[in-house]
Amino acid sequence: MPNLSLTQNHEDPRGPKPRKILSRRNIILYGTLIFVAIYYLIPLYVMIVTSLKGMPEIRLGNIFSPPIEVTFEPWVKAWAQACTGLNCDGLSRGFWNSVKITIPSVFVSIAIASINGYALANWRFKGANLFFTILIFGAFIPYQIMIYPLVILLRDLGLYTKLPGLIIIHTIFGMPILTLLFRNYFTTIPEELFKAARVDGAGFWGIYFRVMMPMSLPIFAVAIVLQVTGIWNDFLFGVIYTKPANYPMTVQLNNIVNSVQGVKEYNVNMAATLLTGLVPLAIYFISGKLFVRGIAAGAVKG
Amino acid sequence: MLTKVQSERFFIGSIMLAFAALIMATVGIKPQLFQNLQFLILLVSLLLVIWIGFKAGKFEIITNRLRIRAMGWLIAATFSAALWSFAQKSTQLLFPALKEFRKIWNTFEPFALFATVVCILFALLLFIVGSRDSKLERPGFIERSLVNNLSSKIAALPMVLTAVGVFVIATLWTVYHSFTNSRMLPKSEFIGFAQYERLWSSDRWYMSIENLAIYGICSLIFSLFIGFMLAALLDQKTRFENTFRTIFLYPFALSFIVTGLVWQWILNPDYGVEKIVRSLGFESFVFNPLYDIDIVIYGILVAGLWQGTGFIMCLMLAGLRGIDQEIWKAARVDGIPMWKTYIQIVIPMMRPVFITTLVIIAAGIIKVYDLVVAQTSGGPGISSEVPAKYVYDYMFSAQNLGQGFAASTMMLVSVLIVLIPFAYLEYGRRKHA
Amino acid sequence: MNSIEIKKLSLNFGEVVVLKDLNLTIEKGEFLVLLGASGCGKSTLLNCVAGLLDVTDGQIFINGQNVTWLEPSQRGIGMVFQSYALYPQMTVKGNLSFSLKNAKLSKDEIEKRVQNASEILQIEDLLKRKPAALSGGQRQRVAIGRALVRDVEVFLFDEPLSNLDAKLRTDLRVEIKRLHQKLDNTMIYVTHDQIEAMTLANRIAIMRDGLILQLDNPKTIYNFPVNKYVAEFIGSPGMNFLKGAILPNDKPTFKLDGGWCESPDLSNYMFYEPIKTETQAWLGIRPENVVFGDDAKNMPVKFSLEVEVVEPMGANTLVWSKMGGQEFRFMVDGNTTLSIGERVTVGFDPVHSSVFDLDSEDRL
Repeated sequence: MPNLSLTQNHEDPRGPKPRKILSRRNIILYGTLIFVAIYYLIPLYVMIVTSLKGMPEIRLGNIFSPPIEVTFEPWVKAWAQACTGLNCDGLSRGFWNSVKITIPSVFVSIAIASINGYALANWRFKGANLFFTILIFGAFIPYQIMIYPLVILLRDLGLYTKLPGLIIIHTIFGMPILTLLFRNYFTTIPEELFKAARVDGAGFWGIYFRVMMPMSLPIFAVAIVLQVTGIWNDFLFGVIYTKPANYPMTVQLNNIVNSVQGVKEYNVNMAATLLTGLVPLAIYFISGKLFVRGIAAGAVKG
Repeated sequence: MLTKVQSERFFIGSIMLAFAALIMATVGIKPQLFQNLQFLILLVSLLLVIWIGFKAGKFEIITNRLRIRAMGWLIAATFSAALWSFAQKSTQLLFPALKEFRKIWNTFEPFALFATVVCILFALLLFIVGSRDSKLERPGFIERSLVNNLSSKIAALPMVLTAVGVFVIATLWTVYHSFTNSRMLPKSEFIGFAQYERLWSSDRWYMSIENLAIYGICSLIFSLFIGFMLAALLDQKTRFENTFRTIFLYPFALSFIVTGLVWQWILNPDYGVEKIVRSLGFESFVFNPLYDIDIVIYGILVAGLWQGTGFIMCLMLAGLRGIDQEIWKAARVDGIPMWKTYIQIVIPMMRPVFITTLVIIAAGIIKVYDLVVAQTSGGPGISSEVPAKYVYDYMFSAQNLGQGFAASTMMLVSVLIVLIPFAYLEYGRRKHA
Repeated sequence: MNSIEIKKLSLNFGEVVVLKDLNLTIEKGEFLVLLGASGCGKSTLLNCVAGLLDVTDGQIFINGQNVTWLEPSQRGIGMVFQSYALYPQMTVKGNLSFSLKNAKLSKDEIEKRVQNASEILQIEDLLKRKPAALSGGQRQRVAIGRALVRDVEVFLFDEPLSNLDAKLRTDLRVEIKRLHQKLDNTMIYVTHDQIEAMTLANRIAIMRDGLILQLDNPKTIYNFPVNKYVAEFIGSPGMNFLKGAILPNDKPTFKLDGGWCESPDLSNYMFYEPIKTETQAWLGIRPENVVFGDDAKNMPVKFSLEVEVVEPMGANTLVWSKMGGQEFRFMVDGNTTLSIGERVTVGFDPVHSSVFDLDSEDRL
């Protein structure tokens, strides 16, 4: 018989394995992550800090030091007084232009793309795959090659530099990715559900509105997040297909910051930059997982 | 001479042909031959309809199986006829309100006329087919194309128009016009490869290509490497994974304009990094990438990586999560060290993810434009030009469309070089699976 | 009167032929089961009847009306799916009334029918719930209810019990049988489970590669399978096959390869056609028709073999052994104790056997 009291000695392994919190592995792992995280956060920090300083402080101090005297004047100026060329009514005009562009564009592009995706997933017809392949291929073609013919098309329609024209453009270029997103989602919905609805006498539109759409609210949310950030951040189409009075926020921001006239007011510039980034950032932080899902699904956006 | 199916196929075929001719005439590829060719082809298809009707030998409206569908096509014909009439001067005189949208009506005029004719032909044919095939066998070619699944076909129309009308025709249009001497306005005078010769003898274009190559190769390597490392670090059942991921990914939500402007500020030699390091005592420290023509593209690279790496990390993380967790258990039981497992097992398993990511990054790189505009406007001098900017400047500022078209065609070619092998591989893999 | 008539039905997916020249007539009130391994075309056939797939050729009649080109909802059918296919965002009541709303029935009528169906299926308490809040069995009841409210002549079941666990499956099976007895509708039921098929069907159609191999009542299929495939497919545990040849004497006998026991006398076996020449063949005998021990002594065919594996299954015990290099199984009473390696005498009556041609595998 072995000695019982010895085998029950507390030094023998028993219960959960002890873990050191400060193991070498953890230090390397979290050290690296925190270091990288700081690198990623610096630009945001610099933007905020600079926008809260006055110009004299910026000239003397360094960009990383926190403001000694917090002032909100640059924000007010960026919003209401910053100049682009001769116009001095600030970014607010660009903001409202962007709102006017984004909301209808998001709505129209998602409505059309979701119906496309639904037709592709559930009501396949001959040749549908060919068109879909072309569409996806189109997502990779540089926009530059299609820009000018579209200018001509819009000019012929009398929509060049007008809001509806830009909405059409966003609908067209958002279509590949959104259609892919919706098609892939609708194919994951069990086919039997679709069959059941057909036996129950619902038609193309009936199934879309009363069965498919109510079931797909998450993917609609993903699409909205994707499109709002995408359209809000767009620069190229804004600068080509609108006129200065209708410039979206990104274009106006670039014009304010990179204008050659006058003294550079770095604090106002950073405030303006932050203001422009605020909408997508807010959407990003609120939507969380939806955003990740959207960009992963819409990876072809590039 | 013609069987039932053949005549129906010829009919649909000639309608398609007429449509193609119409499109070509409208987008400007219009040698005289094409001018009214579509209506000639439509005439042929009308004759075909009469032929089919003659063969069928009956035409009943009341007992017609497809009566309702045929009526639908007639209604569609009425609508397009109305659209056509809006473009006519006499209608516009009657309803002055129409004049405001004159341009829209004028653009649609030929299409509306075409659609009217085609819809009437369709309706006629359905009346014939519906009377002929009253004893049910199986739907004929016409019925399958014009009746079955029609809602779906109509609903997919925007997609078809975008795919063909924009992506294919617009691309072909640009390629075609890159061989012309278009300056302020597109012209159709052919001058062969002159635009390309000029393009390739331009310093600015060479600079753009070189910059794109440096930017592209570096950003491919770095974003793949950093993205994968970050993903692997986050995949260690790391605490605060969500927080870290949120931090790494937030720049991706920001536009290139915002990114460019922030980094322009941070890299500013008078106030940014250079000044701080100098104030720490290193008086001779030089770091002003945005003002140094030799390294300016790396300054843009830093900003680009900051914006996009989080996204690559997300794709990689999704790839890692897609790997069977039992692989890890097996490796642990077998006593294989973690780094070895990554290199020898996990990375080979993630090959499809890597390929997809590679293509996404590559397609994105070629489009780089906003970032450069915001950060340097191509300067100093032309030292940070990129092809996308070259295209834009020649199309919209320098009033030299031909150059812009030629440059954008070169961009298309480079994308195709990346994309076609990928599509081939992808297609081949799917066929095998 | 015929309820469903399928004439020369063919279906191709591109190059692949899924159904070929299939004819099938189902009488009113009949319970027909389509049985087969996966990929045999049974679900495809059902989907064609429902109108969910367009056929390549041929015609389908329901209640005398040609429905080949009609929409599913116009064919007078109700359908129950394997995954239940309940609309997740609607309540049970919404699910039941969806088809009636699409058919634009009056509110009172809808109310009446939903009430009626939920009484029959005993789901009145569940009407306000969403499908996610139901158990598997309840969901399938609702799915059946959805077919019931439509007040149709023909019910189509597409493997309705496959997603349920074993106990629920038995319960619902009985319930479907009761429902059929009560409503007296025509029902077509697709399954790969032979027990479901045997218990429910008036007639079973066994399918393979898009063809119906045998269409008959369960008893006939069990006792007189038309070929070796059907014989193997029906019955659990599967039939034993012994290789040999038929000797066409005035008393036909089956000469077993290896000759390890006397040749079974087949004079009582009902051949389709008298055998004229010596024919290579399989002799099939079901494990449950094999007896052992004292019972075997009175059997026309008897031999001894060695026990290899014993599988107690409760009421019965299945014994595995080998005979002439081929697997041989037989069923004994659950209380019998047999040890591995023991030699036992087993026997059977050739009347219960089936004989198949060696090459064509068709019944002789």
